[in-house]
Amino acid sequence: MDRVLELGGYAAGYCGRLFVQAGCDVVRVETGERPPAWVSDEAMDLYLHAGKRRIRTDDPRLIAELASRADVVVAEGHTADAVEALGFDAWDAPVRAAITPFGRTGPKRNWQASTNVLLAMGGYTYIMGDPDRAPLTLPGHYPEFQSGAFAYAAANACRLAGESEVIDIGMLEVVMALSQFTTVMWHCDGAIRERHGSDFYHVVPTNLFRCADGWAHINIVPGFWDPFAAFLDLPELVLDERFGTNELRRQNRHALHAIIDAAVAPMTRAEIRRRAEDCRIPVGVVQSLDDVLADPHLAVRGFWQSVHGGESAPVRSPRRAWRIDGQTPPDRDLALLETPAAEARDG
Amino acid sequence: MADGPLRGVRILDLTHVWAGPLGTRILADLGADVIKIEAPTSRGPREGARFNFSGWIGGEPGDEPWNRVAVFVKLQRNKRSVAIDLKTDAGRETFLGLVAVADVVIENFSAEAMPALGLGYDALSRANPSIIYMAMPGYGKDGPYRDWVAFGPTVEAMSGLSHVLGYGPEEPRNTAMALMDPIAAVNAAGAIVTALREREATGRGSFLEMSLHESGVVFCGPWLVEHQLGRNVERIGNRHPAMAPHGVYPSRGEDAWVAIACRDDRDWRGLCSLIGAGLDPSASLAERRMGCDAIDAKISAWTAARTREEGAVALQAAGVPAGPVNVTPDMTADPQVRERGFFVPLEPGPTPVPGNPIKMAGIGSGDWTPCPRLGADNAAILRDWLDYDDERIAEMEREGVLADKPPP
Repeated sequence: MDRVLELGGYAAGYCGRLFVQAGCDVVRVETGERPPAWVSDEAMDLYLHAGKRRIRTDDPRLIAELASRADVVVAEGHTADAVEALGFDAWDAPVRAAITPFGRTGPKRNWQASTNVLLAMGGYTYIMGDPDRAPLTLPGHYPEFQSGAFAYAAANACRLAGESEVIDIGMLEVVMALSQFTTVMWHCDGAIRERHGSDFYHVVPTNLFRCADGWAHINIVPGFWDPFAAFLDLPELVLDERFGTNELRRQNRHALHAIIDAAVAPMTRAEIRRRAEDCRIPVGVVQSLDDVLADPHLAVRGFWQSVHGGESAPVRSPRRAWRIDGQTPPDRDLALLETPAAEARDG
Repeated sequence: MADGPLRGVRILDLTHVWAGPLGTRILADLGADVIKIEAPTSRGPREGARFNFSGWIGGEPGDEPWNRVAVFVKLQRNKRSVAIDLKTDAGRETFLGLVAVADVVIENFSAEAMPALGLGYDALSRANPSIIYMAMPGYGKDGPYRDWVAFGPTVEAMSGLSHVLGYGPEEPRNTAMALMDPIAAVNAAGAIVTALREREATGRGSFLEMSLHESGVVFCGPWLVEHQLGRNVERIGNRHPAMAPHGVYPSRGEDAWVAIACRDDRDWRGLCSLIGAGLDPSASLAERRMGCDAIDAKISAWTAARTREEGAVALQAAGVPAGPVNVTPDMTADPQVRERGFFVPLEPGPTPVPGNPIKMAGIGSGDWTPCPRLGADNAAILRDWLDYDDERIAEMEREGVLADKPPP
């Protein structure tokens, strides 16, 4: 199994998390500075760093020594120069991945960034939110986590091939690479993709609807139109000429949304799910965090792993997104470890 | 095909829509030989796509509209195409032959689709015990939701994200862009390289499973942990629990905006020195959060007098994270993106398509190939991988087992 050295913020942290869950020995160097997060330091540590060995140091010689003993180094900096200042280019490890907001080259390589800035520049923000209001930024750490996942894939590909490589991942490009159809829509159709609240707009109905005890998201591509009418208990919709095709439903979206609003409003989320299952249509209900934690499906599938650190009681944290041969997470708590430097160095 | 560290890895790609094809595009960019296994109808009818809200590659449908649907084409570079009817005995036999000499099979059908074709993991692993099979069903292969019909937007609501995304407590929003799909896509690439490395160690194949749903819940993990620690996780629009000011502010021009964040006191002082307006550079984070409405109003007055680019550049010069809320023409014109050659004018038109954010010496777009035409590689793959002769291939074409265009 690889020895992985990790330095930096939440992108490197997410990459290291994936290595931990693959069974690798991950040493995380912490320098004391950490970027603001959406959650407390405690929560972020439990989520990202459980199972890693962590040392606090800013001694460049020690870091270089740790790097020389690693198979993979993942270093994140808030600018290109910050990664260089760590000594990244001099480290001796077969695979070195640098994650920075804008990449290690180019005129903006040292621009300052935050999650909302990267999402804005990468084209996500403009299309999220309501048309008559400010666009909405995405909460959480999407550019960072996705960048970490790219770094993980790239580093493992290099290890598989037995190749030494220096990897340069810019988070802005990560966001842009994951655009849905925004870019080709402009280049091929001359159209700027606009924002329409929760309404996907091009396929109708695809939107959030308020129900008796919350919200439900309904996503009816044409093949599901007839069963959707049954779901609503409005079979007459199938014969309604205003809604006979997706194009007609687009043209008459307001009338259709009003009908759905009225039909869904008295239903509970549980009833909506039951009906959706019976009619085999794609509907999800908005789950609270309590709902997700209590979700019977996730429990049955062994989705959670227990993590603890310090004085805290154990909490449930998601395992990695995939399972191999049905394996569930190790039947042990993962602990946050504070590792003396010598121990980290020697393994 | 691209060169890269995954050269020599053979992947049979049965995925469709977004998550799967995006995941296999990442693997193809890294050098894997990705064969898109398609039904003759996979790209829509012969006269044109049923849905096409993003236009045609090159601007026109042309003589082969099924090969020019932009939202499809952008996901298929560096792949090859075999169009084969898996509902026929000959199609299944040929597919199993390909499986026998492949490394990976990946699909994102519903849980029962492949077993219903007689092509579940058991059948594939009999054909090739070292095969890595990856399934990406909406909710997984087992569990109470296994038969639920799932698309990215409906799964998003179930993941916990909609609990946090929106303008305020009473105004949840979906991303309206199926965010679970790109999350699953990048994870899928990671999952496959992980399994390839495990196989290298054990010599055994494996069954990988990753649901859209669980990919999304993983993304929401920090909030779920925070909630268990007894701390409130709220829906707060464009504000941030640990940064203030933080938001999206109006710029000069129609529907023009600039994103700004003050990560710490230093950023705040930089912003104050630039904007003035009576802002107190000594205000603490707690004070800034308390007075965020008034602060946002002063920032908005300053940003509204400038274009989004002018505002962002001035703030960056003051050391403050800021960036324009871009639309596509801004993205492709960005000097940073241009200098790094990120958008690749690979497809006819030429149509710039986002590149791969993994930059390293071993990969580059110079040897990349555009989206293959439907069935373009039928003969080449069957000859090279399975030693089929021309007569056998021609017979399969005559019988409709192989195709290079949708049926009339």
